[in-house]
Amino acid sequence: MMRERKWYPIFYMFVVTAAFSSIVIGFSALTQERVEANTQLAFEAAVLEAGLGHHDPARSGPEVHRKFVEQVSDPNASSGGAYILRQDGRFIGYALPFEGQGFWARVKGIIGVEPDKRTVTGIAFYEQSETPGLGAEIVRPKFREQFKGRVLGPKEKPIRMRRPGSSLGESDVYAVTGATQTTVRVEEMMNRAIRDWQTQVEAAGTSEGGPKPTGGAS
Amino acid sequence: MSPGMAGSQAKNIAVQGLWKDNPIFRQVLGICSTLAVTNLVMNTIVMCAALVFTVSLSSATVSVFRTLTPRNVRMMVETLIIGFYVIIVDVLLGAYWPSMRANLGPYVGLILTNCIVMGRCEAYGATQPPGKAFLDGLCTSLGYTFILLIIAAFREILGLGTFLGMPVPFFSGPGWDKWIIMVTPPGAFFMLAIVVWFFRWLQQKQEEKAK
Repeated sequence: MMRERKWYPIFYMFVVTAAFSSIVIGFSALTQERVEANTQLAFEAAVLEAGLGHHDPARSGPEVHRKFVEQVSDPNASSGGAYILRQDGRFIGYALPFEGQGFWARVKGIIGVEPDKRTVTGIAFYEQSETPGLGAEIVRPKFREQFKGRVLGPKEKPIRMRRPGSSLGESDVYAVTGATQTTVRVEEMMNRAIRDWQTQVEAAGTSEGGPKPTGGAS
Repeated sequence: MSPGMAGSQAKNIAVQGLWKDNPIFRQVLGICSTLAVTNLVMNTIVMCAALVFTVSLSSATVSVFRTLTPRNVRMMVETLIIGFYVIIVDVLLGAYWPSMRANLGPYVGLILTNCIVMGRCEAYGATQPPGKAFLDGLCTSLGYTFILLIIAAFREILGLGTFLGMPVPFFSGPGWDKWIIMVTPPGAFFMLAIVVWFFRWLQQKQEEKAK
């Protein structure tokens, strides 16, 4: 009988694994479209939250998307890679995406800056897998609200994260206690994005004079 | 088997899972998720629903394959089956409830390592017919669920003054100084210990009475 053969357990394991894996693969392929839509929605919510500087938890998916289409336009040559936010047609700020390697996986977020290119309106994260309770505290309002109203500092380090309890300058925020790796990496990726953006808008600004009030509005 | 006998068997399985061998206060299994997700009642409900789904279906599936599976690879097969259901839960949450998936973080994936799941598959699914294995998984995980809901209700009300996110009279008011410690991990240890103590005391009293 086949079941008594030596190779039977190996054969059995192969068959069972192949069967269950195919079902799982098929299942996740079926839901992939929705998952992608959710990822896009998380991104749009982060852009709005960072750029407008407040969180509106009651807003549903379609509302977020409508508001995004209404208020946000894609980066153009003069915005240096940042999304452009408008309110009633008026230019109200930039939403600059940043990303990099966190402690465990990629961290992706948005930093919002006012039209003066110096004052921060807020930050939001739309993808992270940092340690819950430690690094993942970066997504909590307690950490993020510190950024509102901060002023971007000198070019080398526009935003600085300081040890909790130390005295803060106008471009400093408190780091997350117990999450040195996450903090250092987020600080680095954020500052790298800000530096690149500043260089680009300065270059564009001298030739064009900032984003045009109507350009790119959809 | 007569229907009466099947009924008494089903009742016996239910009593074992929900009460006599309750996974939390009797076997003290699956404690990491007990501590991690019980600071909000909503998170607890979703986590428990995921566990009920995983335990009952994987135990039944293990049971379906029990005569085919060679002894020496049975734990690998069990892990595979449990992983299969956990991934399905994870994919469903990712597609239809991403905010809840973000709330629960890695704990959905960690259902795989919850001792209750493997425990039921090994102790019951591997030797009993699928229907009984399903019922056993269902009752055991419901036994887990009701204890977690008690813990979660106390933690959310005492710590945040809300129940399912809605303000609770008095506890959300200025007269109640919110016990923040209840929603942090240490609060879970206190609550768990109190609940285990209370139910064991209750069980002991009941047993003494029965004698």
